[in-house]
Amino acid sequence: MLRKEQNDLVTQTGPGTPMGQLFRCYWLPALMADELPENECPPVRLKILSERLLAFRDTDGRYGLIDEFCAHRGVSLWFGRNEEHGLRCPYHGWKYDVNGQCVDVPSEPVESGFCSKVKLKSYPLVKRGPVLWTYMGPPDKQPPLPEWEFAIVPPEQTFLSKRFQESNWLQAMEGGIDSSHVSFLHRGDLHSDPLFKGAKGNEYNLADMKPYFEVVEQPGGLYIGARRNAENGNYYWRITPWVMPTFTMIPPRADHPIHGHFWIPIDDEHCWAWTYDFHPTRALAKREVDAMKDGAGVHCKYVPGTFRPIANKDNDYLMDRAAQKAGRTFSGVAGFASQDASLQESMGPICDRTKENLVSTDNGIIMARHRLMRAAKALVDKGTIPPGVDPEHHKVRSASVVLPPDQAFKDAAKEALTSRPGVAHATV
Amino acid sequence: MQTESARMTTAEEARYRINYPNSSPRAVKVVALDIPSEAVVKRVAQGSWQRATFFTAPKFEGAPKSGDRSSMRAWLSDLAGRTKDLIDEIATADLIVMVASAGTNADAASVIAEACNARKVMTTALIIGSAAKSDDELSKTLASLRPNASMLVIASNDDYIEEMLVALRA
Repeated sequence: MLRKEQNDLVTQTGPGTPMGQLFRCYWLPALMADELPENECPPVRLKILSERLLAFRDTDGRYGLIDEFCAHRGVSLWFGRNEEHGLRCPYHGWKYDVNGQCVDVPSEPVESGFCSKVKLKSYPLVKRGPVLWTYMGPPDKQPPLPEWEFAIVPPEQTFLSKRFQESNWLQAMEGGIDSSHVSFLHRGDLHSDPLFKGAKGNEYNLADMKPYFEVVEQPGGLYIGARRNAENGNYYWRITPWVMPTFTMIPPRADHPIHGHFWIPIDDEHCWAWTYDFHPTRALAKREVDAMKDGAGVHCKYVPGTFRPIANKDNDYLMDRAAQKAGRTFSGVAGFASQDASLQESMGPICDRTKENLVSTDNGIIMARHRLMRAAKALVDKGTIPPGVDPEHHKVRSASVVLPPDQAFKDAAKEALTSRPGVAHATV
Repeated sequence: MQTESARMTTAEEARYRINYPNSSPRAVKVVALDIPSEAVVKRVAQGSWQRATFFTAPKFEGAPKSGDRSSMRAWLSDLAGRTKDLIDEIATADLIVMVASAGTNADAASVIAEACNARKVMTTALIIGSAAKSDDELSKTLASLRPNASMLVIASNDDYIEEMLVALRA
């Protein structure tokens, strides 16, 4: 459980909040790069960390992320014209460049210099891999660009999607570091999903419903190891890295691509569940990409024209009691992503953690909250840069390995837990 | 018509979640396994806890061998120095938290775990002080704790113990 003031601290990420300050230390995924596919394409509205923003790509291909609303009369610039190196408000023609600088106010004489006195709030927007990243903190504290492996492998080795989740970011993220739910909620899909099936690790997963856990702090966050019995007295380990504040990577299965998530707050009651899949050494096969686009693995199918899952709370997540009864799904909801979203959204827009009853196997969650609160306090009180900002902290991998019983996973799997360009991942 | 899933997940509807104590306090027993962790556990014990109690395993060098039930009878001490029967303490526990310092051999864990297994009581082990120890020293402690705890945490800060106990409603 958390006390109410602790729950408020970790769930509120708007401007001026301690956790909001923490999030504003990092490069965060803002848009998929193909949402702004060409120069002078339509702008895109987005909200992130409770700030309404507008992204656009100008005549020269420069990306901009600015306050959504015109400084003149407050209309949304989404209606604007993306033309000649800037975005022009359709109401009275005020025009802004990618830095939010007003560059034209038609009603005022150019000589007056009035437009130079008008500037919208703006944030950098940078393409790296398939993502447009933004940094929303103080400009003088802007860190180097992120080094997440999925974003720096060749484009044919990576796939990205995002889905709209109608809950606070933290209850979504906590699902990502809660390894013990896989054997229940997702058990029906381990043998059937094209991006999971066929792995020896699935057998270990399903044969041992009471894994042992080890939680180890690492510079950027945590490693959470789930240990199950393997043959000859050895252990099957699934090791999940969590890098602050919100990155996780799911341990791989066989030669399937590796997948993982970011959970980025839209506001305190909604978040983006970003989902990547990548393979360190080969291009993704067409059948894999087709499966991902079709919502397999940890991706999902969308309501057409949106990033909202087709199974959502307005249709009771397409609950199928017959499939539940027959054991094809454990919860009656199909697909990993919708299974997670349905339960996490059912907690309410902001989970009330004063009522929860954690058990000792929830120590990964307890430790993650502890690290978040500690880092937020150190940032606010002393200006300490939090873990996970340094790009060296991004060079992590998940791993699934079989180890002798006397070996510590963090030592035995040290290399496997570090991203190594061009080197295959450790997987069972 | 709005689905019930859509309605029940609104902030407005959250007001109608029934407000009552949905669990009884759990009896959590925290045992320091070595001299350095004893000081930490004594500090933690100063906090305000519902049903957490704190012990030390005083005979660190002469810990009873596994299966030696006669030795277990007078093996734990509470923080006032009174001898406590290990079996009795575990019989009234919901969770045993063992605290060990990195670099120690944590031999006592096997005896505690054996008693917990017999009573089907969950065990959690916390290793503290790892930042100041080598990987080899840490591995030694890990090796002795791993078979004896269903959850093992290597914490860089001692204050994690309090955080964990609060989270577990101890």
